[in-house]
Parts: sequence; C-alpha cells; structure tokens
Amino acid sequence: METSEKKELFTIPIGPQHPALKEPGSFRFTVDGEIVTSAEVRLGYAHRGIEKGAEGRSWVQSLYLLERVCGICSHVHATAFSLGVEQLAGVTAPPRAQAIRELVAELERVHSHMLWLGVAAHEAGFDTLFMYSWRDRETIMDILEGLTGNRVNYSANLLGGVKCDVGDPQRDTILKGIDMLEERTRHYLDVVTNDAVFLQRTHGVGTMTADQAELLGTVGPTARASGLGKDVRVDAPYAAYADFPVKIVTAEAGDLEARFQVRLRELFESYRLIREILDHLPPGELTARMPRRIKPAEAVSRVEAPRGELFYFLKSNGTDMPERVNVRTPTICNMTSVVKMVVGHQLADVPMILVGIDPCFSCNDRMVVVERKQHEAQGWTWEQLRRYGIDYYRQIHS
Amino acid sequence: MSLDLPKQWSDALNTVRGWARINSPWVIHFNSGSCNGCDIEILATLTPRYDIERFGIKLKGSPRHADVLICTGPVTRQARERLIRIYEQMPEPKFVIAVGSCGLSGGAFQGCYGVMNGIDQVIPVNAYVPGCPPRPEAIIDGVVKLLTSLQNPPTPDVAEPSPDQREVIT
Amino acid sequence: MNTEETLAAAAKILSDPPRPAEITRPTPTWMNALLASPDDLLPMAGALLDEHLGWLSCVTGLDPGIEAGYLEVLYHFSAGAAVITLRVRRPREIPAVPTLSDMIPIAEVFERELHEMFGVEIIGLRNINKLYLPEDWPDGVYPLRKDFDPAVLNVSG
Repeated sequence: METSEKKELFTIPIGPQHPALKEPGSFRFTVDGEIVTSAEVRLGYAHRGIEKGAEGRSWVQSLYLLERVCGICSHVHATAFSLGVEQLAGVTAPPRAQAIRELVAELERVHSHMLWLGVAAHEAGFDTLFMYSWRDRETIMDILEGLTGNRVNYSANLLGGVKCDVGDPQRDTILKGIDMLEERTRHYLDVVTNDAVFLQRTHGVGTMTADQAELLGTVGPTARASGLGKDVRVDAPYAAYADFPVKIVTAEAGDLEARFQVRLRELFESYRLIREILDHLPPGELTARMPRRIKPAEAVSRVEAPRGELFYFLKSNGTDMPERVNVRTPTICNMTSVVKMVVGHQLADVPMILVGIDPCFSCNDRMVVVERKQHEAQGWTWEQLRRYGIDYYRQIHS
Repeated sequence: MSLDLPKQWSDALNTVRGWARINSPWVIHFNSGSCNGCDIEILATLTPRYDIERFGIKLKGSPRHADVLICTGPVTRQARERLIRIYEQMPEPKFVIAVGSCGLSGGAFQGCYGVMNGIDQVIPVNAYVPGCPPRPEAIIDGVVKLLTSLQNPPTPDVAEPSPDQREVIT
Repeated sequence: MNTEETLAAAAKILSDPPRPAEITRPTPTWMNALLASPDDLLPMAGALLDEHLGWLSCVTGLDPGIEAGYLEVLYHFSAGAAVITLRVRRPREIPAVPTLSDMIPIAEVFERELHEMFGVEIIGLRNINKLYLPEDWPDGVYPLRKDFDPAVLNVSG
C-alpha cells in the first residue's frame, strides 16, 4: 500500500455476466475524494474457450456452441455464424428464411432492450419499473417460445436457413403481443423522458460526443445516442434488411438520458418491422442445401446485435470442422468507452454509466474492494455501490 | 451455535430452525461463467409472473446470510476460486442447486479449455435442474424439491452429500 | 462515399510505393491487403483513418500451422458496407507487431487478446495484463495456437 498518495482504489468485479460482453470480470478504478481519476478493465470471468472449442467441433455442432456465447442475444450470434458459413460455402438461404431470421432478430431486440430497461431501472433504484418491464417482457418470451420452441436460446437458425416457420395462429399471437408492447413502450418512453427523479440519474450524466464515440470505437445504441449513425442493418444490410429496411434512430445529447431514449425509440422501429415482415413474408423454402465439408475460404460476417455491431471472422479448410472462428462482441468495444468516460465523474454515477452501455445482466455477487491508505481493505458489494448512488441522489433531491 | 439445553428444547429449536429455513430460505445466486441464459430465467422467477418471493424465498447479496446457493455456469477457471470462497463463506447447513446443462456437465462447453465441466467438479451439489436454460417453473420446482427433501429423508430426486463429500472438492 | 468508392480510395493508399500491399477482393465488399512489412501497418492504418475510410472493428489472429512458419494478424477496418483488412505475417518464432493503441484506443483490448491467445508481441503496448485468461494461466501457453495442448493445464493445476 503506497504511503505517498491519498487515493482510494476500487476494484469492481462487474460480476459474472453476459457474454455479449464475451467475458466480464473486473473494473478497477481509482477515486480521489468523490471523483474517478483512472480506470482499467480486466475481464475473463466467463471466458470458456469457445473459439478454440469451435475448432474441435463440426460446423453444425459449432452453431449450437456459438448460440450460447450469450443467452440474451443468442439469435444474432447464430445468425452471424450461419451467414458467414453460407458465405464460405457460396450458398444463399432462401428469402423466406432470411425474413424469418430478421423477424426473430427484431423480436430478440425487443426482449433484450426490455430486459436492459428493467436492469437499468434497478440500478437507479427504480424497482417498480424493473418489475413492470420484466412482466411485460414475458409477452415477448411467450411469442418467441410459440415461434421457436424455447424462451431463451431459440435455435431458430440452421446452416442454410431456419428451422421454424410462421403460421397464421403464430402470426395473430405475435401481432396482438406487439400491440400491447407498443402501448407499454410509449409509457416507458414517457417515464424516462419526464420522470424528474429518474432524469436526475441520467440527464447530463456520462456524456460522450460523437467525436469521442468515434475515436473510442463505440457501437450500437450507445454510439447512436451520441449522434454517431452506426447501424449494421443500415450500413451493410444482411438477412432480409434490404427488403425490410430499418430507419436508424439517433439522438444528439450523448448522455445517459439519450441512451435510454434511443433504445426505447428503436423498439418502435422493431415493432414496425415485425408487422411489415408478417404482412409480406415471402413464400418458399426454409433451407438451402449446405455441404458438410466447406471448401477452404475466409469470410467476414457482421450483424447488429441489440448492443451493437457483432463481428465474426470465419476460415474453412476443406473439412467439416472450422479452421478459425473469431468472435468480436459489441460490448468489448463499448467497455473501452466506459473506461474513458467514467474518468472525471463521481463515484455515485458509476453504476449508471456502466449500465448505460448495456453490459447485460447485473449479478448479485459483484464485489468491490476498497483499498485505502490508512484503513484496511474493505469489501463492498456491488449492491452497496448501487445503494451509494441511489442514496447520494436522494440526498441531493431532498 | 451450541447451547447446553435439555433435549426437548434443542429438538424444538431445531424444528423451528428447520421450519424457518424451509419456509423462508435465503438464497444467493452465483454465475460461474454461464451465457446468462439461466441467470435471466432465475431473475425472471423474481418478477410478477413467477414471483418466487411468495414462497418465502428471498434473494440475498451476501453468502454469509444464505442457506441455498443457486449456481449457474460450467465453472470457468477464473470463477472457480470465487465459487469456492463463496461456498466456504456460507454458514452450515448449506445447500447447492446447480441450474442448467452447463452446471450439470459443462453443457455445450464440455471439453473447452476454459471450463471445469460442471459445478460438482468444484463444490458438492444437492440438486440439479437440467435445461438450456430451464424454465422459471423448472427452477422453482428444483428449489421446492430441495426444500421438501429437508423435511423428509433424502428422496431419489435429491442427493444428500455424505459428510466426507462436504469438503470442497479441489 | 459509396462502397465502391471507399474501396477504390483504400486500394490507392494501400498500393502506394515503396512497398505496395498485395490486394485481393474475396467479395464485392471485402478487400484484403497483405502488407509487405509490419512497418507499413501504422502509416497505412493512419492513412485509412485520416481519409475516413473505416474504423478498427476487430483484430484476428491466425495460426496456419507449424509448417507455415508464420503467424498472421488481421486488422479489420469497417466503413459502411465495406471491410478493409490489413494483414501482417510474422515469423512464428518471434512474432511481433507495433501497437496501434496510441492512434486507436480500442486497439488496446484487441491487442491484449492477440498477445495472450497467440503469443504475438505488441511493441509499445503499455498494458499487457491478461484480458480474458485467468491470472494463474501458465506462461508461454497460447491457447489459440494450433500446437496448444490442453493437457498442459491439468499438470500445472
């Protein structure tokens, strides 16, 4: 322990989390009084060795492995992988399959953003909003289960197409559910835009300009909230996005409030797309023939996960097993922006800034280690840090 | 805590303790490196549709207050130490529920260099809830089965680790 | 600038003397540029950024196998629909590349991963702490290399 500096050192394990974040682990930062002066990210907590694992499995087995990189955005991983393998083999999935891929992707985006809304609300101490949004989210879970057979890890993709079709009963269920969710989303947008207590935690907090977002390689809604118009669905349409295009949603303020608004406004775009696809679903086959052995080639596959650009690099070697699968998840890009953004902010804002990039799911066992010069190292829980933020703002308000 | 009580008093105390534990178990959740699929279904059990709290089950943040550890994930190398520490911090009697295929055997990640291939490779497990992920109903069912087994002698559904198995497997 | 224009502008930069890169187009939107020397990496990446011809989206390490004698590093720059991949080959025995992190902050996490997974030395990178692998991972063991033997992990605990 140094004797010359009066800084306090916090280590916050972000907790075992979501691997759209590949592997979260800990977040070390130094605090001078109330202000954060430096930060570093150290991951590894959920590192399972998936890229190597794919090299020891067949292409088909790898699909099931890669679906489970992340349970919250499982479909986009499977889609990116399937599109990439199809590219290697020179195969195009039929139009109906691509449209269903897009349909499930947008349904997944809805579930993911609602999940995030609840988690973010919980971080801010707004548990009512957490309970309401997760209750409403059950509608999407039911829709996905009715369509694909599972609430999570839908496994809709096959190499060459999809395995689930959309019939009339499902269509009606989906449309009814979307109507309900759209009304609820309007309510949530009103809350995050107008609730004074909530705005205290988000307005003007964690601001990042478009230039900073660009320099730091930020992606997804986090980047779009700073005015950076990056969206793979628009920039490089894949699946059926050329036939069913999305209108990009951005904001200018670049603060936490903007990030809330962008994600919620994106949901309206998702609802619109879901209705449009259901109205104009192309007829035809669900799969195209795929060879078991893939000729030697390389491919790059990019899709827009709920958190931002997901980048896959694939290499085949003429066998039925991948030569190389490289997965670059969006949260690793956005984590860099958090590490830079958090400097200069106060401790009380850290939980919300972290959740603002949608690093996925909060876990109970996050621990913070506070090292102080004069005192023994103390163990804080993330719960304590979260409460610290809530109480801090409550005091200001009163 | 050992008090020198007459037998009928210590029996009564044990019954109250058992009743309190069964009817209001405090649970800690730990993710040892899962894809989060199981974790969001566990979290869903807290939300209005499933509402696990009406069964008296409370999710706590600290292992020192917990009766039951609900654990997901195939146990990555990085998470292994933390899992052992959490298990050791829990006061006796303690119980472990492994949720999800990964927790049972490594699941989809079996054989990957980063994982230990299942929670019972690291700590003793009392109940296994299979699924990828298991539905919230299945998770609740697993918890209830475990609690029921505390009232009755061990059933085939739920395993009671023998005393020497209670040491942490390293 | 549309995709074709972007790729044409990139090709012009990448084929500049004295050491033009070897350019291929596997797909209409993807350009590969095999650099003649790792010393070209910084100036060419810098030129791409200056002309707004993409942002660093991903860094991929490749091990073609022991016989090939080299490791390859791919730097993927995305610009709209276009992807421009700069490729650098380094001898397997002493693979080293210069860091891009001074110019591109996000490169740091990509390079840390490259280092721990493939054993590529990143010259000038200040933070070489483990990113994904655990602290007690044995030195000199690079899991994404083709000659990685998982048995090594059981021996060391």
